[in-house]
Amino acid sequence: MSAIQTDPTAAVEQAISDEPSKAIIGRSPWQLFWRRFKKDRFAFVGLGVILLLILLAIIAPVFAKITGHAPTDQFASGPGRMTDSYGLPLGPNSEFWFGADGSLGRDLFVRIIYGIRTTLTVALIATGISVLIGVTLGILAGFFRGAVDTLISRLIDIILSMPLLLFAIGIVAACSVSKEGCLGGLIKPGMPVVIAVIAFFSWPYIARIVRGSTLSIREKEYVEASRSLGATNRRIMFREVLPNLMAPILVYSTLIIPANILFEAYLSFLGLGLPSRIPSWGRMLADATRFYDVAWWVMVFPGFFLFLTTLAFNLLGDGLRDALDPKTGRG
Amino acid sequence: MNKRFLRIFAVVSVFALLAAACNGGGTSDDPTDGPAGGLPQGGIYRVQVDTDFGFNGGFDPTGEYLGWAWALYSNLLVRNLVTYNHTSGVEGATIVPDLATEVPAPSEDGLTYEFTLKDGIKFGPPVNRDITAEDFVTAFKRLGTPSAAAQYGFYYTEIAGLAEFTEGGAEGEISGVEAVDPKTLRITLTKPVGDLMFRLAMPATGPFPAEVSDCWKNAGEYGRYLIASGPYMIQGSDELDVSSCDAMRPISGFDPAERLALVRNPSYDAATDSKDVRANNVDGFLFATNSNNEDIFNKLDAGEIEGEVATAPPQVLRKYETNPDFEGRLFVEPGDRTWYITMNLTLPPFDDINIRKAVNQAINKDTLRTIRGGPTTGEIATHVLPPEMTGGTPTNTEYDPYPSTDFQGDIEAAKEFIKESKYDSDGDGECDDPVCKDILFLTRNSPPQVEQAPAVEEQLAPLGLTFNIRELDTSTAYTQLGDLNQKLPIAINAGWGKDYGDPSTFAVLFDGRNITDVPGANSNYALVGLTEEQAAGFGIADEADRNVVGVPNVDEKIDQCAALLDQERTDCWIEFDEQLMEEVVMWAPMLWATNNDLLGPAVAHYEYDQFAGEAAYSKVAVDTSLQEGQTSLEG
Repeated sequence: MSAIQTDPTAAVEQAISDEPSKAIIGRSPWQLFWRRFKKDRFAFVGLGVILLLILLAIIAPVFAKITGHAPTDQFASGPGRMTDSYGLPLGPNSEFWFGADGSLGRDLFVRIIYGIRTTLTVALIATGISVLIGVTLGILAGFFRGAVDTLISRLIDIILSMPLLLFAIGIVAACSVSKEGCLGGLIKPGMPVVIAVIAFFSWPYIARIVRGSTLSIREKEYVEASRSLGATNRRIMFREVLPNLMAPILVYSTLIIPANILFEAYLSFLGLGLPSRIPSWGRMLADATRFYDVAWWVMVFPGFFLFLTTLAFNLLGDGLRDALDPKTGRG
Repeated sequence: MNKRFLRIFAVVSVFALLAAACNGGGTSDDPTDGPAGGLPQGGIYRVQVDTDFGFNGGFDPTGEYLGWAWALYSNLLVRNLVTYNHTSGVEGATIVPDLATEVPAPSEDGLTYEFTLKDGIKFGPPVNRDITAEDFVTAFKRLGTPSAAAQYGFYYTEIAGLAEFTEGGAEGEISGVEAVDPKTLRITLTKPVGDLMFRLAMPATGPFPAEVSDCWKNAGEYGRYLIASGPYMIQGSDELDVSSCDAMRPISGFDPAERLALVRNPSYDAATDSKDVRANNVDGFLFATNSNNEDIFNKLDAGEIEGEVATAPPQVLRKYETNPDFEGRLFVEPGDRTWYITMNLTLPPFDDINIRKAVNQAINKDTLRTIRGGPTTGEIATHVLPPEMTGGTPTNTEYDPYPSTDFQGDIEAAKEFIKESKYDSDGDGECDDPVCKDILFLTRNSPPQVEQAPAVEEQLAPLGLTFNIRELDTSTAYTQLGDLNQKLPIAINAGWGKDYGDPSTFAVLFDGRNITDVPGANSNYALVGLTEEQAAGFGIADEADRNVVGVPNVDEKIDQCAALLDQERTDCWIEFDEQLMEEVVMWAPMLWATNNDLLGPAVAHYEYDQFAGEAAYSKVAVDTSLQEGQTSLEG
């Protein structure tokens, strides 16, 4: 026995008043997510970089104004030209901070900054389209099962089994020959065909994940409850299933964005992407293959920005996944 | 794809992309020796070819239409009745006797030529017999055999009886090609052909041994069984079993995907040839494919090869031209090739000659040449025919119908043309009609054209012309441009090189009678000379957006020039060129290209073959002490 008498009730009261945070507080899923997410410094860096890139993309014309060079302005002749007599680009200087981009002598810095617009536009629109298609078909397959599921799942299998790059090359080539594009003018050459190709090959990944999640959600008690109260299929899909899919959809969208950024870079690298007037990092890297031994800047700068952007989206995606789906360890 | 893979895929891919771009790399030893003074004998001359040999007729001389293949035939493998001194310039474009004792004069009516064959001329192993007049008859029969696909067979349509033979008549004989006796060949024409000797210097008319070539009558087949008549033969020719067609197996020294090895032909008698035509200094040749262009030039630097058949990037040209270590290793020769912008005479806004003239006047040809790699890549073109084709004149300073300071374009003068056009309603020198906006502009997706198109776009913007640039790979671009139903108003992807040193080989592009609607087969891209009847036949006459009325026609002028000889002929072609530039204006010529040949350090002697536009392999020599790497033909 200790010399001091203890009052167990007082001790408990003491503990409660000392550590109010240990009290059980009801938190929404989003609050839980935020608590976990804000501890992830890497994800925050990723988010910061993405926000910075978006800012740069928005204020790109400011840089064009400061340097006095629009992204398509050519400096291939006359005084102040940025190519030598062999058509080789000249390096960074006080006016052209990243040097010239190639034989047309365009400002590489301005083109890279404008390239953020291209990259994000293509990646975000393509991702948006693939999420829309993927979620719709995924929910339908998972919810209705049976023949609908078989049909959609086999379609997914077929697309996933296609040799992606070969098909992409074929589609881009077929749609780029005439001014009208293909599918009766639905897909125009240039950015639309690139976005269409990327979206076409990205949606199955989302659809598969959504289908799997839907299959499990539709068996949950609250869905049963909703159904027993007379809810329609549509209501169940929109009000019960879809909100519970938000976490995986967000995570996979974020992870598909960097893949799509690279997909655009590949297509442009292979000469199948965007026309030369639209600044694209992949295309810059492709052009760099001709010059890099005498013009390091044409490879280093676009490469760095492409690397930084994909890394940022991946860090953010990982952070989101850890925060939204704590059961999964970092893998 | 699981999520982990997705992430790794994304990050790793960046490196892959960078690594792909960095592929190759590394610098090499600097060879310091230029070509030496003497002419050493022997050694193997090694050449690497970018990606593939590019043969478009299976290396069968009847059908093969690749300039580099012609260099191999004419210098090394296949002798003709007449040929060239394989060298550069006018001398290299002059006809000299080869298997014939002399270049014959035509009969009085200009229709008959009689060739006498030299003594001592033989086929190489395993045939090893005298070449007779009958072997030329065999060549012409192959030319007239549709299955053998003679790609330039149109050059021989004036030979009497050839057309009937092709159609299966004439009892299997060509009346205009007659072996009078083993030593005498008589060629009869249906109408005079002023440049017949040039046509008879082309490889398809070389002698074919029927005992071998008759076994292979389909396009390209004979390429792997080629029996030499020149100083070299395909390695392994002597092992070919010619006892029957079934017994023959492809000659071992030629793998169409990888290598072509040539060795001396023991049956060749140098006394039947001239040292000015073929010097035959080396013992053999090894031509190999290499898919890495950069590696080819690294090997060249290092002395591991002597020659290249590849396009040197500008930085390599810069090095060979400016670095004293590489002095004497770059040969810049006239390529007899014109690069141009072609405009469709039937499609707005280019159906208006003033718009076409404005394009000629406005473009900055100096910048367009810089994009190609600068002055080393050619002379700025101010008209269609490269001056070498017409005796060296007129040059770009002697005749330029759309002049500007330093060829940099003159926008103000161009605006004057626009003012005259029907598409400038307010007369301010800017095209304001909707047809001038968003014009489909075809280019290649590879340099330099991929960068020239946006440059032209910027240069023409002040004239109110805007473009929708379509980038396609080289061959698709040609196929599309060669299909008149694609309705391409303007294109910068195409170039044209001569077949032989006569302007008629350029005139074929503007002959209205050559227009065809076979997809990909039309090379009169601008549709010069398209008649309304033709247009109706092609089903393009009543299209709302195509103007087929009043298209300029030069057929008569072509016929007039083609019938002339010598200086009269040359003068006529120069007039023809001026007519094209001022009355037709289907092109904006940009560049008369050079052929740049880069050499390895061991090359002791080099000459350029003006005929084939490639190295004169029959004249080269190597200093074997300077060769690095494998120097034998083994493996």
